Amino acid sequence: MRPNTASKLLIICSLFYLIIGVSLGFVTAMKLLWPTVGEIEILTFGRIRSVHTNLVMFGWLLQAGMGLIFFILPKLLHNKLFSEKLGVATCVLFNIATLGSALFIFAGKMKNIEYGEIPIPFDYLTVVCWIMFAINVFGTVINRNVKYLYVSVWYIIGTVIWTSFVYITGNIITQLPFITGINQANLTWFYVHNAVGLIFTPMGVAIAYYIIPKSLNTPLHSHKLSLIGFWVISFVYVWTGAHHMIHGPISYWLQTVAILFSWSLIIPVVAVITNFLGTYLATAKDKRYLGPIPKFMYMGTIFYLLTCLQGPFQAIRTVNIITSKNDWVVGHAHMALLGAFTFFAVGGIYHVLPRIIGRKLYSEKLGNIQFWIMTLASILFFGILWVGGVVQGYFWHNLNGTFLEILKMMKPYHTIRFVSGSLLVVGIIIFLYNIMETLWGKAQELKDVEV
Amino acid sequence: MKKPAFEKNLFLLGMGAFLVFSVGAILTTIIPPLVDHTFYQSPYPVHTYTASELNGMKIYQANGCVYCHTQQIRNLKEDQVRFGWRLVEAPVSQSWEYVNDRWHFLGTKRTGPDLARVGGKYASSWHWAHFKDPRNMGEKYQTQNNRFQEASLMPNFYFLSDGQIKDLTAYLQTLGRNMNWRKGQSGEYLNDYEN
Ligand code: HEC
Repeated sequence: MRPNTASKLLIICSLFYLIIGVSLGFVTAMKLLWPTVGEIEILTFGRIRSVHTNLVMFGWLLQAGMGLIFFILPKLLHNKLFSEKLGVATCVLFNIATLGSALFIFAGKMKNIEYGEIPIPFDYLTVVCWIMFAINVFGTVINRNVKYLYVSVWYIIGTVIWTSFVYITGNIITQLPFITGINQANLTWFYVHNAVGLIFTPMGVAIAYYIIPKSLNTPLHSHKLSLIGFWVISFVYVWTGAHHMIHGPISYWLQTVAILFSWSLIIPVVAVITNFLGTYLATAKDKRYLGPIPKFMYMGTIFYLLTCLQGPFQAIRTVNIITSKNDWVVGHAHMALLGAFTFFAVGGIYHVLPRIIGRKLYSEKLGNIQFWIMTLASILFFGILWVGGVVQGYFWHNLNGTFLEILKMMKPYHTIRFVSGSLLVVGIIIFLYNIMETLWGKAQELKDVEV
Repeated sequence: MKKPAFEKNLFLLGMGAFLVFSVGAILTTIIPPLVDHTFYQSPYPVHTYTASELNGMKIYQANGCVYCHTQQIRNLKEDQVRFGWRLVEAPVSQSWEYVNDRWHFLGTKRTGPDLARVGGKYASSWHWAHFKDPRNMGEKYQTQNNRFQEASLMPNFYFLSDGQIKDLTAYLQTLGRNMNWRKGQSGEYLNDYEN
């Protein structure tokens, strides 16, 4: 098989779920304005919402990440992917799992685990895919032609190991018959939190650690900071699951542990961000933001920083009273997965795909337009969710008004959320158009083979 | 600067990443139930679900009610008052109350009200009307308290069969039942859950 076949296939498939996933998000937002829209059983709110999160997280982000890693890893190790065939097989099975789970969830067959709704047998199949992916990663690292492993490789290895445990705990252990009630809830939030923190974070950071220096043509700012960032994140991230249940029916000490560790998360994040921004600052001013790739990576970095500052802050007990259980949380989750990691993945695909197929990106200009639409729309989108959340939180807290009165006040916020969300979908459509033209349309061959 | 050994040794790197991670993983997942037994066993009697109620639980899960409704009265005055009943405050949810929940629905988002203590608050016929059309529950329930009912964002569950609604309602009527808390006129505890 030609080199990078698996990588290309994974990336192309992931784009399909991206557009389906965000469209379902669009329908969900619509249902908060007009609850009677699409009033049929398979499109009921709870199911659409679950398919939306599953497709954007696993169909899109995880799959795109795997594709990018299959390209980046051999580049860093000066060799070829361990096995293209295995990679393609991983892709096929993973797509069966993702599509199958979406159909099952629509039919009402889902687990009670947030982000882990994917039912049997598809969760087990995903585990199989992950093992296949791991074999490919480890095989490539073992066959390497360089001595030292670059920081991206550490994060990739970390992702492979942590994801296995996190995913199996959330999807399989939680379903064991003797795991009930609060015990199950505790494992659920261990999974929910670490799905973001130990799957998508290291994956996104690995990609950014490669793409940022490469696209700016500037060496990484500091090796020492990468060391601190990596080891601290692998230690502290996993402790924080219980901060999803602050004031809730779970041991008080466990909440306190989770809150303290939430604060310690600031250390690795600041290390990573300083490293990224330092690399930007070391680049000549007029070269820093040329074209869509550095722009997406820069904005992704900023969103990553903001998410990770917001997290500890909303884990404070008194702040949590106002920000929990309302739209604020939705804004926070979107800033991580849509703001930070989707931006990283988009930047990564803009860098990687043209190099795989040997053709220029169809239009840098469209990429820039997409960047500005997505950036402005997402700031509005996150912002309105936070403001709406805080307003609702205060009214609930001060016991003003009935539940429904307060819900009715949310209408303007839900409207702006819907409008800005629609703009995000427009941005995604531009992205897909640009990629399709690059793949199959009018894009030029890439002559100077600096691949 | 001399580079650390793990940077050229895959085994060291992998083991390191795993061990450092596993400290927190074990201390936050395996240890808590060993320290706090109410994670899995209850010192007080806890309701055991009937077949119909379990089926209701399945329907609750299949329709993603949990994405709009939490099931936890947090240790906060506002939760207790807002989700209380006729000026009686709802008791704070305790971890032992959930031990028989094969599937937990604690939830993270309150698009609709908390349901941890909804059992007994409404007649089963109220739930029936509410599932059929949450925004227009028919004449019987159009009281002045329901002025805002048309602002509800809850989906219509018209597609559930009568049998399914019966099971789902039976499940809802169990919620909060592990503590007697609703008081009647003369201060006696009520146990008038409809089935
Ligand atoms: C889109 C979000 C949404 C979903 C999904 C949803 N609900 Fe609701 N629910 C609401 C809202 C909003 C209210 C408050 C207004 C009302 O009474 O309709 C509510 C109210 C309720 C109430 C009355 C609570 C009270 O104390 O007044 C019950 C009971 C209820 N829902 C049960 C369910 C069940 C069971 C399901 C799943 C089959 C479900 N809901 C799914 C939004 C939702």
